[in-house]
Amino acid sequence: MSRRAGLLAATLLFAASDAQAQQAFPQPLAEEPIPVVETLPERYPDSFVFVHDLHFKSIPDGRAALVDVSSPVSSVKGQIPVAQFGTLLPSTTGSEIYAGETFLSRLTRGERTDVVSIWDKATLAHKGEIVLPGGKRGMFVTLKNAMQFTNGEKWMLVFNFTPGSSVTVIDLEARTILGDIDLPGCMLTYPTGARGFTSLCADGTMMTVLLDEVGKAKSTTATRAVNDIDNDPWFMMPAMAGRTAWFVSFKGRLHGFDLSGDKPRDLGGFAMVPGDAAKGWRPGGWQVTSADAAGHVYVLMDPNGAAGSHKNGGTEVWVADTAKKAVARKITMQNHTLSIEVTAGAKPYLVASRPDGNLDVYDANSGTFLHTVAQAVNDPMTMTAAGK
Amino acid sequence: MAIDKITEALTRRVAKTTSRRSMLTLIGGAITGAAAFPVLPVSRAYAAANPAHGGGGVAPQPTGNPQDPGDQASCDYWRYCAIDGYLCSCCGGTASTCPPGTEMSPITWIGTCLNPADNRSYIISYNDCCGKSSCGRCLCNRNEGDRPVVRPQENNDINWCLGTSSAIYNCSTAVILGVALEK
Repeated sequence: MSRRAGLLAATLLFAASDAQAQQAFPQPLAEEPIPVVETLPERYPDSFVFVHDLHFKSIPDGRAALVDVSSPVSSVKGQIPVAQFGTLLPSTTGSEIYAGETFLSRLTRGERTDVVSIWDKATLAHKGEIVLPGGKRGMFVTLKNAMQFTNGEKWMLVFNFTPGSSVTVIDLEARTILGDIDLPGCMLTYPTGARGFTSLCADGTMMTVLLDEVGKAKSTTATRAVNDIDNDPWFMMPAMAGRTAWFVSFKGRLHGFDLSGDKPRDLGGFAMVPGDAAKGWRPGGWQVTSADAAGHVYVLMDPNGAAGSHKNGGTEVWVADTAKKAVARKITMQNHTLSIEVTAGAKPYLVASRPDGNLDVYDANSGTFLHTVAQAVNDPMTMTAAGK
Repeated sequence: MAIDKITEALTRRVAKTTSRRSMLTLIGGAITGAAAFPVLPVSRAYAAANPAHGGGGVAPQPTGNPQDPGDQASCDYWRYCAIDGYLCSCCGGTASTCPPGTEMSPITWIGTCLNPADNRSYIISYNDCCGKSSCGRCLCNRNEGDRPVVRPQENNDINWCLGTSSAIYNCSTAVILGVALEK
């Protein structure tokens, strides 16, 4: 066959296959409208989880992904920005998401502006902002307790670090700043009572500040030294079982405090790992603990624990029954895990974030591995389940 | 800033004459508004899952000094025992200097690292370099002696780019302040 005849034969063959394909699908695809932008339900299902991405390779461009962990299919529902060592705080029952952020006017230089940015849950659209004066918002590798609610989520507490410590109290409904409270020697905020917060102090005590109706400090109390910072300090982010905070220590001791009253009520604790071995099972990772609706406390554990291992991640999740003060069961992780979160509701998911940005999802009640949500974010440091 | 210079000088003088713990306490009291220093457990957790981490393909940078042994582009270099961030050695600086055009945080948190060559423990200051965005090379996080942020002067999770004109973090150094004296 000549070259020309070969080309002719090929053309005829393609024309025949075109005709066959069009016979199989007589109608073309419908035209699609432009523009269309998705929206979300106003009230998120319990399977929605905010995955905070520190974005270490470009910290001014931090963000959070909203992920439906019930299925690996179409699981990333959207994103919101959380810039420059920001802190994310979704309301549990309201319609807004808050992000504490810092901006420089020329990205890496220029005038600094700290804000609480406000986003709408249903549209993920920007609704407004509250400017924080003084350029003092604390910047950390994501710590949820750098920003918390009080007063029934009508007020917000923003932790400042210059490195002097203080808390800015914000009225979210009025979008105004009520004032600052100095916290010498103490760090972060743990909502306490109807209107107030507790802070962890460098001498091992907890300090509780109660607020009056205009957001000023009306009383301050301190506990005895309860946090052995030299020998066995607590991770800074506790598992919250309702208003009870369960702190876990570097060596695996759980210690509970009921924060629903005007000062922390010490519930005591217990060691998940008996003895005081220099090496062995210890908590490891970033967000190492979370609680389910039944009050069980989940802790990410590392078999190679030792001094300095506390951020290395883990390979098992131990589920503690805090009433019986015992480890009830253990869940083996499919992969090396950085952080864990348990979703709300009676059938919770256990979400295990991996250093590569993938999320492994387990049935929290049975421990059964379900699926992986791939490429959720870059650096999945903390997670916040909807309604928690 | 003058106050930072004073504090830095104080830090250096104190480091030569006190134990680690008393020095940390002193710095904690003297901190005025400086320094920035992020920490990232991702890198260590990633290292556990990925043996290639540590060099990450970056060519070694041996010091050439037998008393200061190791590869300054590797997370395993002795001075990096409590570092958290991108190694300035990989970013245009060195283990003790910042890349061009950045600003060194005047105060930061410190660690105590054992030099395997002379078997002395040295006080290392992990000053951050600030004013350009994340370098992106040679991420390293080691936590020997790291305490939670409740004790900030012993914690590497804080953005210490505080006393600088820009709060933007670029990379971390590991500067020798002096020999840690035993009590």
